[in-house]
Amino acid sequence: MKRALLFLLCLSPLIFLLYRLFAGGAEDPIKAIYSVTGYSALTLLYAATTISLVRKKIRLLRYRRMVGLFAFFYALLHFSNFLILDMELDPASVLDETLKKPFIYLGVTAFAILLFMAVTSLPKLFARFYGYHQLIYVALLLVTVHFVMAQKALAYWQWEILAVMAVIGVLKVVQKTGLAKF
Amino acid sequence: MQRTRYENRPLREADVTEEALFDERRKFLKLGAASLVSTAAVLELAAKEHLPAVNLDYAKDPNAGGLELNTYEQITSYNNFYEFTTSKKGVKPLSKRFKSEPWKLTVDGMVEQPLELDVWELMKQMPLEERIYRFRCVEGWSMVVPWIGFELSRLIAMAKPLASAKYVRFETLYDPEQFPDQGRGLLATLDYPYVEGLRMDEAMHPLTLMAVGLYGHTLPPQNGAPIRLIVPWKYGFKSIKSVVRITFTDTQPQNTWNVYAPREYGFYANVNPDVDHPRWSQARERVLGHFFKQPTQLFNGYAKEVAHLYKGMDLRKQF
Repeated sequence: MKRALLFLLCLSPLIFLLYRLFAGGAEDPIKAIYSVTGYSALTLLYAATTISLVRKKIRLLRYRRMVGLFAFFYALLHFSNFLILDMELDPASVLDETLKKPFIYLGVTAFAILLFMAVTSLPKLFARFYGYHQLIYVALLLVTVHFVMAQKALAYWQWEILAVMAVIGVLKVVQKTGLAKF
Repeated sequence: MQRTRYENRPLREADVTEEALFDERRKFLKLGAASLVSTAAVLELAAKEHLPAVNLDYAKDPNAGGLELNTYEQITSYNNFYEFTTSKKGVKPLSKRFKSEPWKLTVDGMVEQPLELDVWELMKQMPLEERIYRFRCVEGWSMVVPWIGFELSRLIAMAKPLASAKYVRFETLYDPEQFPDQGRGLLATLDYPYVEGLRMDEAMHPLTLMAVGLYGHTLPPQNGAPIRLIVPWKYGFKSIKSVVRITFTDTQPQNTWNVYAPREYGFYANVNPDVDHPRWSQARERVLGHFFKQPTQLFNGYAKEVAHLYKGMDLRKQF
């Protein structure tokens, strides 16, 4: 029951996006895909991190893999949007953009990390690659910078998002370094 | 005063052959991808447009260039107007109660004849004409808009600038009561009031328009009511909205986006596919309502008319 609810919750941005695209209201559909998938991946990555942060208080650890995989799913849609719809599978412009634009190679690097984590989350592989999943913190940092750099100017509500991320980040560091127990 | 009739540049052969260069694989891919996305987003809405009643008297643009107009709905629902919000869809609902009447336009600085104009009176006095222009945003989207207005040069002639005046500075209304983001102090997205500027020869150019309407009707608030600047060969942020002051000066105006991020937004902001924004490419653009991008043209397709203004300038350095 809990899993089904969480599954639907994770799926809701996709439903919202499809509604936006198919019921009109997306003047710039590619940008709409970027925004919705980007914010979803970002939110779910931070959510997965929060699950381990509050694991003593709220027991959601068994659902962490699903949340993480959903984050990867949205990152995959986001990356596919870049590759297929935005760049129209033109290798020249993909390379050009990727090598020239810092925010894009940050994003691509983060995607590579998520791809690796998604593959090694298979039970058999996970036992062996468990340790490497600390890479999530590198991905979080890259993705956050990528999000900031993608904006023309930060609106105040985006500062609010960043503030929440910063709180999660600081608490995580405190927990990891054992400065405080929670 | 000499009246210059502007004609849209007819499409040249060169504009058309682009398509033919697409190889079969890309074409196939496009067809495949396009079939996956909604017809609503891809196809031009065939439904009859609910256009507002025409309330301006103007000379029609024959559209010699055969530009494909964006719909009234598209033009008035997708706006950058940070004084309201950074959300492009959010501007329209937030601007519903905007008061553009009465509206005073001050013309001052290095002029023989400073002016205090009632914009609504001005609309009746000036010979209004429709200008169907491409509009290209620095973010990489674009549209085609049938503006209605008069050449800025007419207003400049009324003010009689002094020989020392080299630039024209524009300012948007400052009114935190009407513009939510102006009341946010340190949390505001930009420094207000919004400021833009043009070199005198750019301001005098016959393509440079003071727009007061679109689609035959006075401008809605989200598009910069009651009067805005339109400089079709520059990125949209140069085309300042809801103008209250025009000042003639001998120093280059500090335009808002240039102050905000000097590496990213220049004073000139000429549309140029070969000069990238540091964070994204400007080579292509997406026309609102179209799924796939098209190549961006130098000076947004107005090179023939304006390239001479920038002779001898390094467009990479003076972007």
